[in-house]
Amino acid sequence: MNSDTPIADDISPPRPAAASGSAPTSPRPTVRPIGFSRRGFLTASAAGVTASLAADMSAIQGLRGEAIASELKRQDKRVILLWLAGGASQFETWDPKPGTKTGGPFRAIPTNVAGIHISELLPELAQRMQHTAIIRSLNTKIADHGTAAELMECGRRNDPGIRYPDIGAVVARELGRLESKVPDYVSLYTSTEGRRKGTSGFLGARYSPMFLSDSMTPANILRPDSISATEHQDRAALRDALAKRFTAESHHLAVDSHQSAYQRVQGLMASADLFDVEREPESMRARYGPTQFGEQCLIARRLVEAGVPFVKVARAWWDSHGQNFETHQELCADLDHCMSALLDDLDERGLLENTLVITLGEFGRTPGINASLGRDHFASAWSCSLSGMGIRGGVAYGKTDEEGHKVVEGEANAGDLFATILEALGIDHEHEYMLGARPIPLSDFGSKPIREVLA
Amino acid sequence: MCRLVEPPSLLPAIPAMRTCRFVVILWIGILCGLSSPDRSVTRAEELLSASSDLPEAVDHYVQERLDRYGIEPAPIADWQTVLRRTSLDLAGRIPTAAEYEWAERLPESDRRLAIVEHLMSLSDFDFHLRNSLDELLLANNPHNGEFRDYLLWAVRSRRPWDQIFRDLMAASSTDGPEKGAVHFLRSRVRQLDDLTNDTAILFFGVNVACAKCHDHPLVDQWQQDHFYGMQAFFSRTFMTRRNVITERPFGSVKFKSTAGEEKTASFTFLTGAAAEDKSPSFSDDERKRLEEQLRKMEQNENTGYVLFPDFSPRRELVELALQDAEDRFFAKNIVNRTWQRLMGLGLVDPPDQMHAANPPSHPELMDWLTRDLVEHRYDLRRLVRGIVLSDAYARSSRWASSDTPPSPSTFALAATKPLTPRQLATSLLVAARAPQTDPLDANSDASPWGRLRNDLENQAGGWVREFEYPTDPFQVAVDEALFFSNNERVQNDLLRDANDWLVGRLKATESDEELIRTLWIHVLTRQPDDEELATAQAWLSRDSTERFDSIRSLTWALLAGPEARFNR
Repeated sequence: MNSDTPIADDISPPRPAAASGSAPTSPRPTVRPIGFSRRGFLTASAAGVTASLAADMSAIQGLRGEAIASELKRQDKRVILLWLAGGASQFETWDPKPGTKTGGPFRAIPTNVAGIHISELLPELAQRMQHTAIIRSLNTKIADHGTAAELMECGRRNDPGIRYPDIGAVVARELGRLESKVPDYVSLYTSTEGRRKGTSGFLGARYSPMFLSDSMTPANILRPDSISATEHQDRAALRDALAKRFTAESHHLAVDSHQSAYQRVQGLMASADLFDVEREPESMRARYGPTQFGEQCLIARRLVEAGVPFVKVARAWWDSHGQNFETHQELCADLDHCMSALLDDLDERGLLENTLVITLGEFGRTPGINASLGRDHFASAWSCSLSGMGIRGGVAYGKTDEEGHKVVEGEANAGDLFATILEALGIDHEHEYMLGARPIPLSDFGSKPIREVLA
Repeated sequence: MCRLVEPPSLLPAIPAMRTCRFVVILWIGILCGLSSPDRSVTRAEELLSASSDLPEAVDHYVQERLDRYGIEPAPIADWQTVLRRTSLDLAGRIPTAAEYEWAERLPESDRRLAIVEHLMSLSDFDFHLRNSLDELLLANNPHNGEFRDYLLWAVRSRRPWDQIFRDLMAASSTDGPEKGAVHFLRSRVRQLDDLTNDTAILFFGVNVACAKCHDHPLVDQWQQDHFYGMQAFFSRTFMTRRNVITERPFGSVKFKSTAGEEKTASFTFLTGAAAEDKSPSFSDDERKRLEEQLRKMEQNENTGYVLFPDFSPRRELVELALQDAEDRFFAKNIVNRTWQRLMGLGLVDPPDQMHAANPPSHPELMDWLTRDLVEHRYDLRRLVRGIVLSDAYARSSRWASSDTPPSPSTFALAATKPLTPRQLATSLLVAARAPQTDPLDANSDASPWGRLRNDLENQAGGWVREFEYPTDPFQVAVDEALFFSNNERVQNDLLRDANDWLVGRLKATESDEELIRTLWIHVLTRQPDDEELATAQAWLSRDSTERFDSIRSLTWALLAGPEARFNR
């Protein structure tokens, strides 16, 4: 890291230097009172009671200077991650090798961008390549599901004593708005994904995903039947009023975070409708199709449209150790259709220029085809795609050798991809978080964005 | 097998750029500490006499720094706050109403001592110390019943900390009460780096991970020697197909130094002290036969034997760590972590960075407590008791003056600590149950309180997953606020309409004021102030709502409030 890199972003309360003659002090957190009014009981005493929407934000604002930070946030940038859980084959998607020993039975087809061919299993996407950059030269080395998923989600491996945030948490923190009434990071389930929840790591639970584990409606977002709507709101106001004394007297950022968590409850409850596809016209639902992945892509669009900065939709299970070709026939059809519908829909709504769509799994699949006609885990030469915001569409970056055994041009690792994603969003990937005394850059030490795919 | 001989330099390349700045700083620190070990160690004769009372020593050294900085510390907190804080820290739960009434009647001069002695006599203390150790040692794999059973047995039988360390590193009992100790290693055995790093972090307060690939121009050899030296102690460890942890009788860690030199790591502790490899040398035939036996143990479920070689590198690690009389990494680490748990911040912070460039906020106190712990045979109860009886522990967490509060590391005021998931869950249940059983009558685990506490411990297990374990910096997740606001379990369990539960009993209370006072004592261990009383009275006298619904909502508002979420 350059030593002239930027002002660090202190994520923990300041601590004094080692003992010296003068008394160390710690500044009080900046408290920004936010009045709110509520109908019913306690309106007067509740207003102005609650302070400090996430006092940790005062530290965050220290980052690049407040003006730039809020400018970034005002631009309403969004990310949708289509997570191909289990690891999709690059041969049957973005990097076909027809007619070779490793290529399998499917053909390559031309796309609407001259010179770029992709697998015939993605015919609809082939007609939308103007939005998309393909990266064919990932070499990420790790080929077991758990560790590789951690690597690709966080852009690096965890170090002892440091748990890194995943891309969703970083985006939630960098692009989420304090006053937002919607969640900043939503992770939609899939029944066979192994329930990877995602992690906010050292950024803390404020940036944890709202994780939908087994239903299309987030847990605890609806009022229980046993209490009326009025009573539910009134008791929340009562809670705020009674919390006043303790919150004001404490000198603790965590106490403030308790208050801000409760302040977000009503807003999040109001966003329950965003998860309801029934609210979309029949024609729109038909475009996405009736599959779970299709419905979740539609929910993802509803969420980003409402201001959610990061949505992950997982599609499983691509882990085709046996019957690779049948598996990909089925899954690619779903991916091709749903992702195309999503890109079209975002484009028509003018959202695509502010929304980055990442299509990625934990690794690719082996060139060799095993005895069960499957492909195994492979992380040495595989592909992903980026579409929309900040991306130079119609680009195929990097190259693998003739049979796809290794990368021969433009090799990129997980950190490079992470840096590329951040740069596409206009976030400085070298910016550092301060974890205590440790400077930690947003993307791994030494990583470089792939400029060729950036707009 | 190949893991042992494969040079780690062949593992996925780690870019040289990873050598981050903080690593450099910290490692220079460690090495300074290693090369001149007494830099941060005060000579024993300079310390307060060993016969000083432990709380006295704490207050002496904390006061010394406050005087040096000219800081007037916060006053001792009111007795209700001290009772609640001590109860959460020793019993892992808030006090019951009976304990509140008992403490109120105690004479001021005896109160703190009586509270501590009462709480330490309960099974609650064992449960909570067990839970604290569990959260420390098996954070990577929580809720392991066998491991928790082992720790509870160890705590109940007053097993000293060095002996617990021996149990965890030996991991050799396949039945008996020590059986569950195996899980410390078992949960990490697939990752040699985890075995190495977690042991160094959790038992010695030192994070050696940074030295794996660090290439400081002057001292990188040493650094790598220390990382791989630690790793050597675990490199022979493996798990058989039947989940028994044992060691190979041969094998070593080879690594490539940053200068490109191939080296074999010796069994070297952080102090530089090394253990000799006392394994017998094997002929090629013997070795081949052993390899075959090891392979069977590792791969075949039906292999009826496990080899435990006479020479155990892990046992050597224990011996070296316990013989370390100079740096005392092992003893200092648990002093620091116990201090951190009770005082909210370690004497050394962060707790995995014990080295000369990151000295303790109170070096003499660290040395005094370390000496005391070792001289009293690693008795954690004594350490805990001593800290909680100090004035430093009992201070108010409020900073009344309008000046900026002093740094937490001065301990001029008490920390506000988020509750752990278990403390929170158990406290919510104690509040909601409003137990009539009196912990003051508990004289054995079979007493009514002992049985109830056992039930609460089990029930709490069903709630802990709803809450985040506090990390630093800690933030409350919005999921938790949604859970409290909307989950039916909160409504049906914590606010249960049953005569012997809290809201049921409140319902039967006619006077609003009495009801409110009872509620505040049960949930917050204090009386309401005038404003709170007025607010609550106004709430209960709303015309629009059934009285019982108002009682439930009022109770909810306190249970979901910040004061119930933190230890102040």
